[in-house]
Amino acid sequence: MGDKAGVWQGTLALMVLRTLETMGAQHGYGLARRIEQTSGDAFALNYGTLYPALLKLEQEGAIASEWGVSESNRKAKYYSLTRAGKKRLANERREWEQTTAILERFLAPAEEA
Amino acid sequence: MMSSLRRSLQKVRGLFAGQKSDTEFAVELESHLQQEIDDGVRRGLSEHEARRRSLIRMGGLEQTKIAYREQRGIPWMESLLRDIRYGFRQIRKSPGFSAAAVMTLALGIGATTAIFSLVHAVLLRPLAFPEQDRLMWLSQQNHALPGVVPEALSYPDYFDWRAQNHSFSGIASYAGGGVTLNLNSGAQRLEAQMVSSNFFQVLGVSPVLGRDFREEEENAGNHAAMLSYTLWRSTFGAAQDIAGKTVRMDDKTYVIAGVMPPGFQFPLQGPAPELWISLASDADGATPTTSQRGLNMLGVIGRLKPGVTQEQAKADLSVIAGNLARQYPADNKQYTSALVEPELRHMTGDNRAALQILFGAVTLVLLIACTNVAGLLLARGSRRSAEFALRSAIGASRAAILRQLLVESVTLSLCGGVAGVALAFVLLRGMVRLLPLNMPRMEAAQVDGTVLLFVLLVSVITGLLFGVLPAWRVSQLSPEQALRHGARSVAGARGQHRIHNGLVIAQTAIGLVLLVSSGLLVRSFVRILNVDPGFDPKQVLTVRTRVSFDTLSHDQHIQFYDRLVKRVAALPGVRSASAGWPLPMSDSNASVTFAIGGRPIARADEPNEAIGVVLPGYFETMRIPLIAGRTFGERDTATAPPVVVINQAFAHKYFPGTNPLGQHIRSEMGDDVVEHPMREVVGIVGDTRRRGLTTAADPQYFVPYAQALITNPYLVVRTAGDPELMQASIQQAVHELDKDVPVYQVATMEQYVAKSAAQARFQTLLLTSFAGIALILTAIGLYGLLSYMVGQRTLEIGLRMAMGARRSDVLGMVVGRGLLLTLSGVGMGLVLAAMVTRLLSGMLYGVRSFDPVTFAVTTALLLLVCVAASCVPASRAAWLDPMKTLREQ
Repeated sequence: MGDKAGVWQGTLALMVLRTLETMGAQHGYGLARRIEQTSGDAFALNYGTLYPALLKLEQEGAIASEWGVSESNRKAKYYSLTRAGKKRLANERREWEQTTAILERFLAPAEEA
Repeated sequence: MMSSLRRSLQKVRGLFAGQKSDTEFAVELESHLQQEIDDGVRRGLSEHEARRRSLIRMGGLEQTKIAYREQRGIPWMESLLRDIRYGFRQIRKSPGFSAAAVMTLALGIGATTAIFSLVHAVLLRPLAFPEQDRLMWLSQQNHALPGVVPEALSYPDYFDWRAQNHSFSGIASYAGGGVTLNLNSGAQRLEAQMVSSNFFQVLGVSPVLGRDFREEEENAGNHAAMLSYTLWRSTFGAAQDIAGKTVRMDDKTYVIAGVMPPGFQFPLQGPAPELWISLASDADGATPTTSQRGLNMLGVIGRLKPGVTQEQAKADLSVIAGNLARQYPADNKQYTSALVEPELRHMTGDNRAALQILFGAVTLVLLIACTNVAGLLLARGSRRSAEFALRSAIGASRAAILRQLLVESVTLSLCGGVAGVALAFVLLRGMVRLLPLNMPRMEAAQVDGTVLLFVLLVSVITGLLFGVLPAWRVSQLSPEQALRHGARSVAGARGQHRIHNGLVIAQTAIGLVLLVSSGLLVRSFVRILNVDPGFDPKQVLTVRTRVSFDTLSHDQHIQFYDRLVKRVAALPGVRSASAGWPLPMSDSNASVTFAIGGRPIARADEPNEAIGVVLPGYFETMRIPLIAGRTFGERDTATAPPVVVINQAFAHKYFPGTNPLGQHIRSEMGDDVVEHPMREVVGIVGDTRRRGLTTAADPQYFVPYAQALITNPYLVVRTAGDPELMQASIQQAVHELDKDVPVYQVATMEQYVAKSAAQARFQTLLLTSFAGIALILTAIGLYGLLSYMVGQRTLEIGLRMAMGARRSDVLGMVVGRGLLLTLSGVGMGLVLAAMVTRLLSGMLYGVRSFDPVTFAVTTALLLLVCVAASCVPASRAAWLDPMKTLREQ
């Protein structure tokens, strides 16, 4: 099912897109905290991988960036979802749900025919 | 899909991001950190603790920045660009070394590029016709001669081939000649080709003005002409309404069909045709040329039908040829099969071998340049060993160091390539001008797109070639060794010395090969120049005139030339004058069948040999010696007893052991007035090298001009002073007799002889230049090695001298080392030369490819030069002040 790094990058990208959809524009730190919270603190996000991932999404046109001021009055770069990003999120969400549904049938406890 | 494309484009953009992007990201990271620290502090941690935890969570600030940068751009390209920039910096840092290396490379790459341009323009470039690979040169094979001997076709043969073949969409004929254009301003002689009506169709070129030839223009009376673009502009004023107009040429009326596009030329060998005329002229007369089977004079070219191969076409045509041989044994008995060759191959055939050898030789020069620069790099590399040791200690992998060094060498090599292109420009200009050779398409040799691509490729390969050895050496050094011992690392030095020695030996070997080759060619060329052509070419002017066979009667024609020769002979400054055809070394010739009286032989088996028609005094003017009997005189008129003069080769071949004088020969040659009588052999003259200096004389027989009026002869004039000064007075003499007779192709006999040696001169000059360059580079290479060696061992030498060694000992040591290297190189070189010079045997005249004198002399020269090159560093070493040296340590 692809190598681990690839899957990891893919899921991180999905998490970022979804978070931006629900939260609106957000800066890097805020995204990181929110992702950790949403995943129920199930894993510790290496912030060092977050920023390259954000750059990749920006290169692909799924998100856009803009400099602004954070809550604590610091200069920060804010990321927001683009229209292409919204479409991509919807597509990937649908794909995940389909994959999960199929797998569930396989991994479910054996039933009588 | 779209997103990954967008990402790639953004990455390319990211290559140029630079400082600003780095700063921005640093700010973003710092802001992230601060926010986290703020949170931590709010949760109750100290600032210090909060910061520490954040950094751990961040996973290393530097790594994050690196990962970010890698995502932003194209990492491998960025390191390549970085290496290239570093390479340029290195080049600037050591200007002396860089200049030497770049100049050496420029020499090698420039010379190679110049030769490649020539090879590309002459051999490789496809012909400028649509689908030119389908154009085939056709001929019939003469099975009476050994080997594969192509023979031209006669008109009837050509018509039969054209009608009966199944393999070609069209077959066209062409034959060269000249026409006299009669304008009001006078007569102008034009270079022309007589072609079949489908000639332009077969080539695939349409006229830019007017129309193509029509089929009926092959018949008598329908004279048509197609002008070349240059002729249309120069003589016809680029008139837009030229198509359909008529002109008088050779006293016939021609209609101008049209104008060919600029740059169109066919055939490409020989002087460029100024116009093409239809076959109608050859179809004229009682026994037209078009009906004479056995008069083999046509060049034939065909365009293969789609899907037909060369072999199929050959088989098809051979069937036709075989049938014709059976039907017409008298003329075609020996032409039982056909030859089909791609036109490009046929056209370039004469020059292919010579150009290939030249290209091979110049590649050797490039190789020597590479070894030279590799040696320079090796010497310099050890000085940089500390720098690379440090790098690898920091963490640079061996591959990265290797890559960087190779990029440096390729950068150096590309600089050499750029300088080489400039050199190639100059060389090409000089080559085409100083060595005028009639290689077809040679004028187009220039530095164009293909050649530039070649330069790029050669530069990169050269850079890798000379860079790989030094780079591998440097990357091999272990850091501790290099840092501890510095540049004087003993272990490293030994291995490096071995490689450097090997390079110098290889250089010397290759240099010897080039020297021997050039020596052989020089010897051969000198032999050629000393060949006795059989006549005295000094101070002889030759001139062609064209008197129409239609306007003047037979007798008037003969009278004209008699009178002309007398007039010219009477001019002040003229020692003697005469006329004859063909002129030796003029590329014109004809051979006619004959039979010897008293030796009955079937018509089909009659031999044929070269003929000549001459006026009285021809042999004397040309100073061709009379061996026996007499030459022609005033008494040998058209009505006098028919006579013939033969040359020695003819006498030896056909009258061995007997006296030819008084015997009889009947030749098929004749005009319509004097038919084929039995001619008495009245004289034997010396042989002439009529086909070229390097071709042995063949049998030839001569008939008085008055008794065989077949063509207009060459006027030959032996002058007292400079022959070229007589041109004007001779022209005047001609025009006093008839102002409408054109005078053209004025040249001295020496010019014809020089042309015959032109190819040999070209090859010899070029190869000798290469050998000269190789010699200089080899000497420099040896000098460099020995200087470096002396420099490395200064301490040792100082010690030795302090301990009592004499200057001569030191001298001996250095020169001895140089001699050892040279002798090893010479040994290898002699073996290589013995193998390689066999390839030259086609280019050599009178010299064996394993000529001991040449081998010995060139070896001695090389040894001498190398010893001289060793003396400089040797004397520098011997005159070291030992106290000073020891103190400096």
